[in-house]
Amino acid sequence: MTTMHRRAFIRQTGFSAAILPFITGLPSLALAAPARPRQRLVVVFSPNGTIPPAFWPDEVGRDFQLKEILSPLAPYRDRMLTLHGLSNKVRGDGDGHMRGMSCLLTGIELLPGNIMGGSGVPAGWASGISIDQEIKNYFQSRELTRTRFGSLEFGVGVQDRADPWTRMSYAGSGQPVAPISDPYQMHEKLYGQIKDRENLRSVLDPLKAELAKVRTMISAEDRRVLEEHESLVRQLEREITQSSSQTLRVTPPDLERGIADQNDNVPRLSRMQIDLLVNSFVNEMARVATLQYTKSVGGARMNWLDITDGHHGLSHEPDTDEAARKKLIKINTWFAGEVRYLADKLAATPEPGGDGSMLDHTMIVWTNELGKGNSHTLDNIPFVLLGGGFGFDMGRALKFDKVPHNRLHLALAHGAGHRIETFGKRDLCTAGPLALA
Amino acid sequence: MTRPSPLSFGTAAALVTMAAAAAVVSCTVAPPVTIASGKQIYGQKCADCHGARGEGVDNKYQGALVGDWSLPRLARYIEKNMPDDHPGTLAPRESEAVAAYVFESFYSPAAQARLNPARIELAHLTNRQYAVTIADLIRAVAPPTAAEPMSSDATHGLAATYFSVAQRGRFDAAKIAHRGTDAAVDFVFPENGELRARLALPPLDRPATPNSREPAGFSAQWRGTVIAEETGDHEFVIRTPNSIRVWINAEPDPRSGNEPTLDVNVSTPMDPDHRVTLRLLGGRAYPIAIDWWALPEKTGSPVVPAISLRWKPPHGSERPIPARNLSSGKAAPTFVVATRFPADDSSQGYERSISVSKAWDEATTNAAFEVANHVIKHLDRLAGTRPEDPARAQKLAAFAENFVGAAFRRPLTPEETQRNVTALLRTAPDVENGVRRVVLLALKSPHFLYTEVPAHESDTTRTATRLAFSLWDSAPDVELARAAKEGRLRTPEEVAAQASRLLADPRARAKVREFFQHWLQLRYLEDLGKDAKLFPDFTPDIIDDLRASLGAFVDVVVWSEHSDFRDLLRADYLFANDRLATFYGLPAPAGLATSGEFARVTAPAGQRSGVLTHPYLLAALSYKSTSSPIHRGVFLTRSIVGRALKPPPQAQTFDETSFDHSMTMREKVVKLTRSENCQGCHAVINPLGFSLEWYDAVGRYRTTENGRPIDAASDYTDDGQASVRFAGPRDVAEFAITNAHANQAFIEQLFHHLVKQTPRAYGTATVTRLRDSFIASGYNLRKLIAEIATLAALPAVGTATVAATPTPPHP
Repeated sequence: MTTMHRRAFIRQTGFSAAILPFITGLPSLALAAPARPRQRLVVVFSPNGTIPPAFWPDEVGRDFQLKEILSPLAPYRDRMLTLHGLSNKVRGDGDGHMRGMSCLLTGIELLPGNIMGGSGVPAGWASGISIDQEIKNYFQSRELTRTRFGSLEFGVGVQDRADPWTRMSYAGSGQPVAPISDPYQMHEKLYGQIKDRENLRSVLDPLKAELAKVRTMISAEDRRVLEEHESLVRQLEREITQSSSQTLRVTPPDLERGIADQNDNVPRLSRMQIDLLVNSFVNEMARVATLQYTKSVGGARMNWLDITDGHHGLSHEPDTDEAARKKLIKINTWFAGEVRYLADKLAATPEPGGDGSMLDHTMIVWTNELGKGNSHTLDNIPFVLLGGGFGFDMGRALKFDKVPHNRLHLALAHGAGHRIETFGKRDLCTAGPLALA
Repeated sequence: MTRPSPLSFGTAAALVTMAAAAAVVSCTVAPPVTIASGKQIYGQKCADCHGARGEGVDNKYQGALVGDWSLPRLARYIEKNMPDDHPGTLAPRESEAVAAYVFESFYSPAAQARLNPARIELAHLTNRQYAVTIADLIRAVAPPTAAEPMSSDATHGLAATYFSVAQRGRFDAAKIAHRGTDAAVDFVFPENGELRARLALPPLDRPATPNSREPAGFSAQWRGTVIAEETGDHEFVIRTPNSIRVWINAEPDPRSGNEPTLDVNVSTPMDPDHRVTLRLLGGRAYPIAIDWWALPEKTGSPVVPAISLRWKPPHGSERPIPARNLSSGKAAPTFVVATRFPADDSSQGYERSISVSKAWDEATTNAAFEVANHVIKHLDRLAGTRPEDPARAQKLAAFAENFVGAAFRRPLTPEETQRNVTALLRTAPDVENGVRRVVLLALKSPHFLYTEVPAHESDTTRTATRLAFSLWDSAPDVELARAAKEGRLRTPEEVAAQASRLLADPRARAKVREFFQHWLQLRYLEDLGKDAKLFPDFTPDIIDDLRASLGAFVDVVVWSEHSDFRDLLRADYLFANDRLATFYGLPAPAGLATSGEFARVTAPAGQRSGVLTHPYLLAALSYKSTSSPIHRGVFLTRSIVGRALKPPPQAQTFDETSFDHSMTMREKVVKLTRSENCQGCHAVINPLGFSLEWYDAVGRYRTTENGRPIDAASDYTDDGQASVRFAGPRDVAEFAITNAHANQAFIEQLFHHLVKQTPRAYGTATVTRLRDSFIASGYNLRKLIAEIATLAALPAVGTATVAATPTPPHP
């Protein structure tokens, strides 16, 4: 049974619906199922809320104008969805920033804990898995969509600390996934094996020479051990040769050397991380990625934009502070530019072994922990979708009325083929996945 | 060269005894007539099942005919039991003839020694040697640090500093509330509690305005070392609902690039245990640093600040780390390789490494990468340079060459420098990868991996290497290497002087300690749990205490002034804390500062006899509810009187329910093992095991069992046919102290553990000579260890294939 469709198989063999969950686990059936086109998900995070009037399109539907902050994404207007009106309705312990961040992708309350925010009750980590990890687990559970890492968590300037303000990705309750902010560390994670293999290969000739020399110096009885040892080294050499014949589709990016993980390098670090991200996708290392810029309450000083104030401090300024407003628009526009760079790279890369570009098979979700910085509202969280492959009807500006953001997560899961009924807090999922198709 | 596996049972295999000399005599003079006739009878009646040369036959009698019974005993056994299908059909003269033939041709240790001539074999590092050597290698190539590897003047417990404010990861010297030493870190800080008052800690309430920058909360730092007693995985558990950063076996200095071992900013009262498992080498101190902060909270928060530093050491249960394992001193981190190697060959009763396998080769590759990653991560610090140092390349090259020399345990030849260093640095894409390649090749090289590889080394360098490996399982230190270089290691006296210096090092203590763990089979004694109804007070705490008590006893005896082996077997004292003293009815220990400490207490007269009666062993060698004379007897047979035992010819399970309830354990064992088949071994095992019937399943002294008086006395037939009466453990101890065979078995085990070669390779009379001087020294263990190491460092025979050729006897 190699080519029979799953449905045909079920029909012919008379399996009832009740046993479906069991037989879908059969490897042969999984293989027989028609392969879905390749799908990938990238969640991009930038902090401290947005400036709503400069972000949300005024119109609803296909005919909409991009506002200033989203203007860098103009070439992709027809492949975007702006989703106004999604609310993070998760309540419970923790301050707005903490819940904004740690409930953003999990849609579930924080655990009791020892972290006291600016207000509210102290809290701990999120009590459930995040949607990126949920979809990653789904992909990893199936032969056809399994990759070496499943997901990769990139950070840019996320500071070396761990708290509910710095983690949005969770493997499960109380299990935050730390993003890797150092591109060199990420490079090592992705390609270290290849470097190791080269290094090991380079020492085998001198090693063989050494063993051969020692062999001549020892007694006949002991020689047997050395001969066995030599044959093991030859075996190792064959294995290295074989494994290096499984070449990568593209070579690892050559990272500019010596870029320290610090504030003023953020623009360069951002591009390095995006290069590594797209590269890892081409080489089939993962199908899910997160790209986290700083953290909730992130205070990056964007000197490269001639803004010397910290981002978080600025975001607290009242709407009437026109200077702060301008700076915040500039900051958020810069983030949009980085999303544009990511989209450009994906659009410029042909889908390996498939149709179209990689962007056609990748959904970028750009989001934020707050709707608006100075009010700390968790309503109207910025959600912009860009790309393809999830079966959504793109090229629209949509408006909802305080819909729980859990419903977007459900839509993403369903778009990935993972038909779960609830995600995160169950009560917030009653209306089902957001209709985006 | 591997010898046949039948010798694998028991630790007394391949004994070199006085009998060896006798065998030499008999095979060099004309064989007695009986041997020829014995050979004929053997061929007709025995060879079908045992093979032409006693090697065994598949599906018949598979084991080889090899053992340490005396000739008369062998003859008696054959007369009664052989041939298996018609026992008793051989005439006494025929049995004697067969026994003589078998004994002389292959059975006896002397025959085995002749058939398998001993030599010093090519051996690679054992797993322990690998780990210790790498740890010392990384330390040797690093620039000296301020912290000594071990410091002894520090007090038990950790140095503690409490602060009257909690700032995330910051500790303000101006806000110190209290300083002192905490014997253990195991505290709860309830509101208005005595502890908070004593430490002058403020309330946790947040200031009225939420966003106030006013400091609040409190915090603490603990600094010092944690001392691992045994080698293996140690699971550390920090239990706290608050925030911590913990460095274990790493410097908390941010400049060192060391991430915290545990970094828990966010904690939840539902899951306050934060765990990390670290592999540690026994007998060493490791730096530990804990930063803890209780952040401000709302008034009336249900969460009570608390911290407990706990661990689960190998063979132990989880518990707060006792004061004896904590010190306020300093120690430098030790690099402990985490790669798992396949188990060493223990088929000869001790760990050695004379064969290679795919799994081993892969482990050497993985471990080489692990070390290389560590070296590259700390490269600038190790090489004493900085990224912007103009001389960095030269310094890294010098470091690389130094590394290879340290790995090879000798200076490099010019060709080696070229091949192992220069060429690799030149062809690598960058200098970091160049150093990485140098490390990989050095640690894959036979010059690192094998201890007996002939190379371009002087005799004294080889002597130094052998000495260091025998006493430390590691490479020579600077001082020993210098002595070798200056030619100061040529005479036994010069080597012995270095041996006693090396013996004073903690590494020697650790290796000797592991020998005694091996001798007492402590690595395999895991499950001491007993029937909770019968022994409700025999808790995991008691079991942990017992293991520590036994370790303390052995340490104290070995490292005391007299280092007297006899004390190990017959001491009337043991080490106890209050808990053990209460449970075992011992006098209360005096002068204990903390619960983790033990004091020497003398047991009531006649109740204890050294390790033979240590409750840890007695409890381990027992069933869940009763004693086990068989387990105890096997232990005494193998470890204490040093006899080889074969596996039982028939499987027998001890089924308590199959016996009449009124029977004593001794009666049950007698009944179970009464067949002639069993008696071959149980004639030896049972009398030894019965001598310990004075102790119940948890090792408590008793005088009755089931209301009947204990009968522990029995007659043990020594191999020399003389019968010895054992009324209790003390008689066994006295026997083992004076019996030549027992002494030699002990010495041979110690030799194996230290040298990883058979003593026969150093001359057939090695063990008897060692015994003579052991007795002359008053059974001094340290002198024996030093003498073994000296002898093995200066073998009369080289590494070449020089068999232990028997010297022709004097006419």
